[in-house]
Amino acid sequence: MRLLKLALKSLRREWRSTDIRVLLAALIIGVGSVSTTGFLSDRMERALTAKGGEFLGADVVISSPREIEQGTLSAPNMQHSTALEFSSMLATDAGFQLASIRAVDQAFPLRGTVRIAQAMTELGTVQNAMPALGEIYVDPQLLPLLSVEVGDTVELGVAQFKIAGLVKDEPGRAGAVFGISPRVFMRLDEVSRTEILQPGSRVRWLHFFAGTPDQVGEFVEQNKPKLDDTMRMQGGRDGSEAVSGAFQRTERFGKLASLVSLLLAALAVTLAANRYAYRHFDQAALMRCFGMRRHSLRVYYGLQITAIGLLGSGLGVLLGYTAHALLLKLFLPDLSERLPSVHWLPILVAMASGLLALVGAALPSLLRLSHVPPLRVLRRDLSPLTASAWLIRVFSILSFVLLCYSYAGSARMVGSFIVGLLVLVVVIGGIALLTLRVGRWLKGLAPGAWRFGIAQLWRHRMAASIQLGAFALALTLMGIVALVRTDLIDSWRQQLPPDAPNQFLVNISEQQVPQIEQFMQQRDLSITEIYPMVRGRLVGKNGKLFDEILGDEEPRDNSLRRELNLSYGQSLPDNNQITAGQWHGETEQAELSIESGLAERLDVKVGDQLMFTIADREVTATVSSIREVKWDSMQPNFFIIFSAPALKEFPANYIAAFRSPDGDVQTVASFVKQFPTVTVISVDRIIAEVEQLIAQVVLAVELLLGFLLLAGVAVLAAALLASLDERRHEAVVLRTLGASQVFLRRSLLAEFVILGVFAGLLAAIGTEAVSQLISQQLFDLAAKLHPWLWLVSPLFGAVIVTLSGLWMTRKVAKVAPAVALRETA
Amino acid sequence: MSSNDTVVSVNNMSQRVQTLEGPLQILSDISFSIAAGESVAIVGASGSGKSTLLGLLAGLDTCTEGEVVLHGKRLQDLDEDQRAKLRAERVGFVFQSFHLLPSLTALENVMMPLEIAGIENAEKTAEKWLKQVGLEERLTHTPRQLSGGEQQRVAIARAFATSPAILFADEPTGNLDRSTGAKIIDLLFSLNEQQGTTLVLVTHDEVLAQRCDRRLTLVEGKLQPEGQ
Repeated sequence: MRLLKLALKSLRREWRSTDIRVLLAALIIGVGSVSTTGFLSDRMERALTAKGGEFLGADVVISSPREIEQGTLSAPNMQHSTALEFSSMLATDAGFQLASIRAVDQAFPLRGTVRIAQAMTELGTVQNAMPALGEIYVDPQLLPLLSVEVGDTVELGVAQFKIAGLVKDEPGRAGAVFGISPRVFMRLDEVSRTEILQPGSRVRWLHFFAGTPDQVGEFVEQNKPKLDDTMRMQGGRDGSEAVSGAFQRTERFGKLASLVSLLLAALAVTLAANRYAYRHFDQAALMRCFGMRRHSLRVYYGLQITAIGLLGSGLGVLLGYTAHALLLKLFLPDLSERLPSVHWLPILVAMASGLLALVGAALPSLLRLSHVPPLRVLRRDLSPLTASAWLIRVFSILSFVLLCYSYAGSARMVGSFIVGLLVLVVVIGGIALLTLRVGRWLKGLAPGAWRFGIAQLWRHRMAASIQLGAFALALTLMGIVALVRTDLIDSWRQQLPPDAPNQFLVNISEQQVPQIEQFMQQRDLSITEIYPMVRGRLVGKNGKLFDEILGDEEPRDNSLRRELNLSYGQSLPDNNQITAGQWHGETEQAELSIESGLAERLDVKVGDQLMFTIADREVTATVSSIREVKWDSMQPNFFIIFSAPALKEFPANYIAAFRSPDGDVQTVASFVKQFPTVTVISVDRIIAEVEQLIAQVVLAVELLLGFLLLAGVAVLAAALLASLDERRHEAVVLRTLGASQVFLRRSLLAEFVILGVFAGLLAAIGTEAVSQLISQQLFDLAAKLHPWLWLVSPLFGAVIVTLSGLWMTRKVAKVAPAVALRETA
Repeated sequence: MSSNDTVVSVNNMSQRVQTLEGPLQILSDISFSIAAGESVAIVGASGSGKSTLLGLLAGLDTCTEGEVVLHGKRLQDLDEDQRAKLRAERVGFVFQSFHLLPSLTALENVMMPLEIAGIENAEKTAEKWLKQVGLEERLTHTPRQLSGGEQQRVAIARAFATSPAILFADEPTGNLDRSTGAKIIDLLFSLNEQQGTTLVLVTHDEVLAQRCDRRLTLVEGKLQPEGQ
């Protein structure tokens, strides 16, 4: 207790010393940046899940062939809505049309919006999906098919309903682009009146739930085990395949940024802590001399470091909280409204990383402190680093790696990062020395003070290499983030080229195919291939039913539980890549190509025979190829594509996508007029929304670069701090020998500019190398070089290093020789 | 002189260290004793082993041969922590380079050994001693803001603050000009007299050596017979 009091008291007294301030600042910046990223990615992650919820209509949806009885699921205080979905015919005097009916209650949708319009051309107003008694809302496509208008009456089962509005938008429209029959909304309490549903009817009960992220988490945890394998639980993340791919990349990017700031912070803390320990060698010797025991000394410094760690980490978390709240308010105001509250986990992770970085950096030096011989007060020698200190350093590095892992959540990510960094450290260390040697050769060409600056660098080549390495590492890490960010945005844009289709055409009849092609040609519009589509169930493999293969216990893949959209054709769709076997092309045999993910899940190999039920008939075909499909390409995509002979005899619907240059107004209007039976689904709005969301998230993460820059400057400051005493001493000697202040300043300037430029060049090399690795490993992007980097990085390096260097050493040239000589005596 | 009065006793002590060129004999076969209240100057040329001897007497290091007995305790028999305890209770130090902690004020520097020894009212005691050395106006100044003489006064206040039985001083005037040095010597001896402290100092300074009761002269690690 007395020791604690003494340690805290003397820490308070030492507040004036630069190294404690730099250490604390580094810690605050480091933990601040870690927690800013932590808060942001944690809240954003949960927000993205919520955004995904808009595609589902809820945070969680449980679908089941039977109604789940009340009380089966525990969902305290959550919003709840129930819907019943089934297919049925709508009939008028003019004819029949199959529709996908969703009978909803008052609460639907819990997330996202439903828009109902009174006329085809209207955008519609956001409102509840449940119509008034005796009324229904229908998909606009149904009007021409049934030759009716809004206000007319249609038959559904034995009941009659008035068409009260047109469904212009509903949750999940993005995910269900393919092959759904036109939507009809009716009241759940009127289903029985239609007498459509008999025992055995194929229906789907949808139970929607929404609540706070904590409630949702708890709900999923509690209820997942209660579901049998006919039931399916979908969270926000499953909202849409296309969107979730983009989310994952953004999330990875956020985590990458956190990891980088964590490393920078640790570097700064290490440097500052080493200097702290180094400066305390004398104090330790003096305290030993005055009679403090070795153990007490260890505890004494341990307590001080812990106090600094707690204070720095605490303030860092506070800074992080403020910064992230500010970022959200400034740049994502509409998102920040909906963001879930702050979670304790990022606080814990940030505090832990701050303390761990500090302990890892300071512990070996602390142990050294306790081994300082008291005789040092008379003779300034020092005990070397002990073996146990190295063990502790290895231990702290290991804990740090573990921390990175817990933070990044992917061994692969941490792995490539650590490998990249190790290579970087070795390469940078080697090149740094080489660079200094080159600088020494060039020195003859430089003017006086510059020559001296270069000579100074060479004289302190070990220290300079460490500084060069540290600067280069800081710049590299910033460079990587900048590059990866650019690549990330580019990759999303590349995935969505300017001529990406924005209108999907569904329910095209065979006769309409040439007419539609002509329509597009006349207007010079680009359209994808028009794919035939036949619906069927995948039932067996190699003569055995999947039911037999999987047994009763094993859960069924979703693709086995529903009808699939099957296509056929001779040419391989764009964006598809054969990974095994050969594309069937114009073969006369019954062959098929299966998507790689599905093939993996069902354990299907090239040469296997797959069995399908299509319109009550059995079809068998041989798997001749496995394809990789880009699901987020906004093009019609299929799990299974047959050779033409296999499916040709079945009546098919056709599907295509095209780009309407003026959005969905005129072109689409004239298209609908000419082809009233074709369903047109506009994906422009969906794409815009996704793009905007990603741009917002990227902007927020981009701002974290500001933190990285601060952390980088902290590293620079800490690295300079280590050499400050020596520089002061040298400056004093030089001034004594007659060097002017201007000369000293110029030589310092020369040193920093050279350090900065070379650090920038090294960083350019490192950035290119590591980002290649990251792009390929993490984002599946092709490697490319960035020429601008080779110009910007050295320039940036020179400016940052020179500014912070001159600021840190501002007193070096000024100090009066007499004063300094007395101090350093 | 009765053995009860003996504060330091050195018997056949030698000190050898390992260097890159092989073993180096720093001190050879030294024997002497110092009585309580005595003031002793250790003099000799640079490299004669004065500071090494001081370090051994104060228990900052242990000798390779022979023995050093401080306050009746054989230093070789104590481990480092026991020696530390002995130093905390009985020993004070003044150094050539003052060894003040640059981030602490004058007052805090003086308080430090008091706090390590767990003495109550550290601040009051430190203030009292700074007043004694004439620095009552400089309590909150850091070493940077003090002249060399003032810094050494702070160091002297710090050395006496724990009321040590024996005070070791290593070239206390080595970094000071002649007149400041003379003032420091006056201060040191007057406090020494007041407190009845035993004083052992290493010095080059002839004036300082002459003010001591006795002088021990080292020549190449050997003690010259007294009086020569």
